[in-house]
Amino acid sequence: MKVVHYLNQFFGGLGAEEQAGIGPEIRGEAVGPGRLLEQVLGDGSTVVKTIICGDNYAAENLESVMETVVNEVRDSGAELFVAGPCFVAGRYGVAAGALCAAVQAELGIPVVTGMGVENPGVDLYRQELYIVDSGENVAEMRDVLTKMAAIAKVTASGEDVGRPAEWGYIPRGIMKDEIVEESAAVRLANMIVAKTQGQPYETELTQTGFEPIPAPPAVTDLSNATVAIVTDGGLVPAGNPDNMPAIASTIWGSYDIATVDNLEGEDYEVYHRGYDNRHVLNDPDRLVPVDVLKELEKAGEVGKVYEQFLSMTGLANPLANSRRIGQEIAENLKSAGVDAVILTST
Amino acid sequence: MKLTLAIHEVSDAKLGSGTTLDGGVLTVDADELREAILEDRRIESVDIEVANPGQPCRIGVVFDILEPRAKEPGTGSDFPGLLGPMAMAGQGTTHVLRGTALTVVDAQQEPGIASKMMEMHGEAAVNSPYGNLHHVVVVPHMIPGTPRHVELNALRLASARATVFLGSAGVGQEADSTEEFELDGPSTNREDVPRIAYIGQIHGHQMVVEEDERILYGSNTEGMVPVTLHPNEWMDGAVVCSYWVMRVETYFYQNHPIIRELYRRHEVGEINFVGTVATVAASLEADRNRNCLLAAHQAKWNLNADGVVLTKYGGGAPHVDMGETARICEALGMKTVVQVSDSSGDRRAESAMLFNYPEVDAIVYGGGGDIAWDVEPVERVIAGSPAVAQALAQMTQIPAQALCGVTNQQGASVVRAVVY
Repeated sequence: MKVVHYLNQFFGGLGAEEQAGIGPEIRGEAVGPGRLLEQVLGDGSTVVKTIICGDNYAAENLESVMETVVNEVRDSGAELFVAGPCFVAGRYGVAAGALCAAVQAELGIPVVTGMGVENPGVDLYRQELYIVDSGENVAEMRDVLTKMAAIAKVTASGEDVGRPAEWGYIPRGIMKDEIVEESAAVRLANMIVAKTQGQPYETELTQTGFEPIPAPPAVTDLSNATVAIVTDGGLVPAGNPDNMPAIASTIWGSYDIATVDNLEGEDYEVYHRGYDNRHVLNDPDRLVPVDVLKELEKAGEVGKVYEQFLSMTGLANPLANSRRIGQEIAENLKSAGVDAVILTST
Repeated sequence: MKLTLAIHEVSDAKLGSGTTLDGGVLTVDADELREAILEDRRIESVDIEVANPGQPCRIGVVFDILEPRAKEPGTGSDFPGLLGPMAMAGQGTTHVLRGTALTVVDAQQEPGIASKMMEMHGEAAVNSPYGNLHHVVVVPHMIPGTPRHVELNALRLASARATVFLGSAGVGQEADSTEEFELDGPSTNREDVPRIAYIGQIHGHQMVVEEDERILYGSNTEGMVPVTLHPNEWMDGAVVCSYWVMRVETYFYQNHPIIRELYRRHEVGEINFVGTVATVAASLEADRNRNCLLAAHQAKWNLNADGVVLTKYGGGAPHVDMGETARICEALGMKTVVQVSDSSGDRRAESAMLFNYPEVDAIVYGGGGDIAWDVEPVERVIAGSPAVAQALAQMTQIPAQALCGVTNQQGASVVRAVVY
């Protein structure tokens, strides 16, 4: 198998931090850990090219380094691209992840890298890539490369890679069903016995860590602010003009309330299968509180009620979709000059 | 409190003259069963059929599946508060026709992804815990114009009546074996083993609660606060499913996998099973906070539990109630494990959870989102309407989540989603 290997300046033998600004250099053979990689890959695998680049250079010129690397890999006819392992070197990990993702997307050949779980490259690229859990100890190089080689070989053969714990990679967060021996009841009992007795237990799902979202600064003068209402409760005008689905909508709608002081049940429908929506059908203001906001507008307490309310159906919505819709809604309201948003959920 | 199950093993079921249990063969007299169900004058007619495992046959849309059972006369009430007079469930002797199921079809439901069905042969059947049972299937048809909630009430009563009617075939017969369930509850003292409780949701108020909906001892759970139940009560007719069901059947209250497993571990001395709490997932925030707090408090102050197993009912929103209850349990010093059903529409772990508490870190995760079985069209379909019959007959694929029991939320499921 022809392999192209990416290393930073340190593992590429160019020097430590003082060489971090150096641009990509190409060698026509294995360098440093690449020689070990050839050994563990076996089967006459050859590192045909090693690309070495300084960490700072890669961080500051990622686009051009990506282009260089993709071109070099393409030109060499490589069947595998390996980056690192990077252990807990953050800039190295981020670059390795970006390069692997670019090669995978552009050339469609197997890629693999290795990082410690604390490496910032992990959160950025774990969903797209096989990232072997390298830990932080560089002395484990042979073990880490052996795991990377095993994943590379099975991916190259077109077969599925097994469970993360068995193959040593960081979970990508992809759910796959299995039919197992033990019923859920038995697994629940096993886990509660272990947990109450201080014994180890393995949860079937590790909760995803999310970056905390800081509360935005308060609106200091509401009487001069334009306030919008956004809901994920699936309220749409009667007739459902945008075909809002009743579960996990991929769209959002914007509906005129400029001349309305009070939402009437007969004018609206709810497309959302996840909650008891009788109260909303009876009085849509209880989900989208136009009535109260318009009163506050008349009293001068709120500057202006934005002339549309925005609505979507949140039920069982994949996070990637929610993120996109959130960004679109935020950009829409921002460009419309809205100062504050009331979000109502169900 | 002691419950004795008199187990009558059933190896075959058929329609015939006179309802009898003889040599493991259940014969059901359709006219007798029909007469029992038509006591309810809201029901105009009933189709009755038997579906045996391994025979090409499809059933839908399923309202509920129950295990045919009847109390030994004089030892208690059948479905107290729902069918029989109010009495404590979970004591005395109950006859069980093991290997059979009473399957009730809802004739008003349309087929759809969320609808529930049974397949009686092939790989799909093998993967359902109901696939190897002998099903007595009843399809009640209501008087035209009956309001939906009244229809559902009639289906619920019919399911209880038919279950007891069939179970009565075991009364007076010598049982093949007996199972005994006896627990003294929270007063049981055992050194060195953890005190384990179960908190189970029996309804999710994300869906409309009907006034005449009978769930817990005949109550509709509206306004209900969590209650402590003896484990035997779940298994002996105190609890049935709500009208709106998602991956639960009354059969697995009667044979509650979690309660049975905790009993088993209690009997081998591994744990001290101290009791259970029944709760509901709320629709309103104030109800949610109150219920979560009180459920956790009962596990702590009534049952003095060290560890709690929690399950949820229905769809997505009840996860929040379960997660919050578990969080409060942990804050009170009790360890928790929760069962989460798959709601990752994109099969991504980041979309899988509806709560995020670091201390609720022991999760059993059900699956089902990407399993489906290829099936052949079948000639025999038991359905409530020609439209459903046609849709079922022509199916070429059955998703795991549509087949009763496969993604069960009461602990019976063997499908799990693994994070890769």
